[in-house]
Amino acid sequence: MIRLEQVSKVYRTDRIETTALDGISVDVERGAFVSVMGPSGCGKSTLLNVMGLLDAPSGGTVSLDGKPIRGYRDREVAALRNAKVGFVFQSFHLISDLTVADNVEIPLLYRKMAGGERRRRVAAALERVGLTSRRDHFPTQLSGGQQQRVAIARAIVGEPRLLLADEPTGNLDSQMGEEIMTVLHELNRQGTTIVMVTHDARLAEGTHRTIRLFDGRQVQ
Amino acid sequence: MHTLKLALKVLRRRKFFTFVSLFAVTFTLLVLLVATAVLDSAFAPRAPEDRPQRTLVVTNAQAKGQHATRTGWAGYKLLVRTIPNLPGVERSALFATPRKLTTYHEGRKLTCQSRRVDGEFWRVFRFAFLEGGPFVPEDETQANPVAVINASTRDRFFGGGPAVGKTFELDGRRLRVVGVVRDVSSLRMLTYSDVWVPISLTRSDGYKNELVGDFGAAVLLSPGARPKDVAAEFARRVGAMPIDDPLFDTLKAPMDTPFGTVVSTFLDQTASGQGALAMTYIWLAALMFMGLPALNLVNLNLSRILERSSEIGVRKSFGATSAALARQFLMENVLLAAVGGLLAAVLTAVVLAGLNRSGLIPYAELSLNLRVLGWGLVLTLVFGVLSGVLPAWRMSRLHPVGALQGRFE
Repeated sequence: MIRLEQVSKVYRTDRIETTALDGISVDVERGAFVSVMGPSGCGKSTLLNVMGLLDAPSGGTVSLDGKPIRGYRDREVAALRNAKVGFVFQSFHLISDLTVADNVEIPLLYRKMAGGERRRRVAAALERVGLTSRRDHFPTQLSGGQQQRVAIARAIVGEPRLLLADEPTGNLDSQMGEEIMTVLHELNRQGTTIVMVTHDARLAEGTHRTIRLFDGRQVQ
Repeated sequence: MHTLKLALKVLRRRKFFTFVSLFAVTFTLLVLLVATAVLDSAFAPRAPEDRPQRTLVVTNAQAKGQHATRTGWAGYKLLVRTIPNLPGVERSALFATPRKLTTYHEGRKLTCQSRRVDGEFWRVFRFAFLEGGPFVPEDETQANPVAVINASTRDRFFGGGPAVGKTFELDGRRLRVVGVVRDVSSLRMLTYSDVWVPISLTRSDGYKNELVGDFGAAVLLSPGARPKDVAAEFARRVGAMPIDDPLFDTLKAPMDTPFGTVVSTFLDQTASGQGALAMTYIWLAALMFMGLPALNLVNLNLSRILERSSEIGVRKSFGATSAALARQFLMENVLLAAVGGLLAAVLTAVVLAGLNRSGLIPYAELSLNLRVLGWGLVLTLVFGVLSGVLPAWRMSRLHPVGALQGRFE
């Protein structure tokens, strides 16, 4: 599904050069549920950003569905992200001005799709996360767990094959965290490839395999 | 379409921002629209000054000597010696500035503006006659006590009934009404008055010897005549005119378009071609006036980048291109400006109606006509784009990861 070969990411400022990723090679096969672990600042989120084409690597190659990404032109990577990748963030990143349904609809707005089809897909995504009754609420009217379920609905509404979750339970209590993991495992069973960053070893145990990072290097 | 819906949703939810922005946009456009309506009322082709592109005017004159300068309207003597038979001119008219006169009519004290004009005046300027007609050149040569009055004066003197043939007293003379015209706004400096009488209808002949006085002239160009040539010939004639007053040795009197003539009264009374300069000033003033609230809106929008960084990051993560985001933010601004423009148009109509009723500008006919609305539309779009482009560009250029983390490089 996604392959990284000798990927590095270096952040440069006037005075400092920071290596966030150093020679990472990872192959995530279709249908896998992979967790990424490591201490804070080891490059987990950077790895996820590079996998999701949000950030271009400083070196190495990223291939999505067997095709290497070159040039990272805005229009091309935006189209790939829209069609193939869904994101779930630790702090949800819901747009407070928009209702639940409007938030979920966002990925579909950047496709050529009729309004009726968009509404049908939004309803289906909300049903999958059990939030049909909250479609007209605003994010601030929901609990943390519900907000993360809205974020998951937004991530899956475009039916991407790859879901990237950056500490999806990090801001939730254990019960809500369990709920979210149940949803993610269900999505994985239905065929979605998932890469999840987590600090929680217990959650990582439930995935197919774990990538461990330390100081930007892959240690396992 | 969804860009528009989205913009509406954002503006509805951000009530305080929307209110502050709308207030600035609406107030600015209101002032500009009212100013445009006033300029339109004063200078747009409309009866009686419905042929400005074929009309040249002389109102200002200056006689200058070593120890004295006299500046004002042109004198009768200057005009009668230089205006007749100008090549390229179809007709020419002389007229004086209006004078405020008080009279008693059927026991009531009435004041009105009275203007002395020649018989050709009615053929150079096309008044809308409600009854009767203009006086003729013979009335001028024979100093016949005749008058054309406007509709409001007819109402005041004769209670609104037919007035032609009736008489009234003004400036110690009994005048017979020969025609009634529609009111002319006092913004029309060349034609406005309540009563128009022949030039010769005056007690003193002193005006006939004046180089600088209280007269103006308007010439109607022949089709195909070049205004520049006519003005040049007029200037030559003025320059060649003998000056019999020992105080003065040079004489200047610019011939210009009606607009140029009016603005030169405020800029430089002795120069011609002031219309283009004035239009530049007007546009600059409008742009500066719009620029301040536009800059304020730019600032407000830029400061909102921080507030909206998460949204920008999310949209980019889910497939929005920089161009799509720029379009969205620009649409929000243009929509804001459009709503502001609409509100400003409604408020302008109210303000103009109030101004018309107030009598502040006598016989004002300020209106939000198609021309004014057209300018309003242009101003609204300029405003929307002016205040939206930079913030939209800055927002759309944010890196998605940085935006999600609230970092801006």
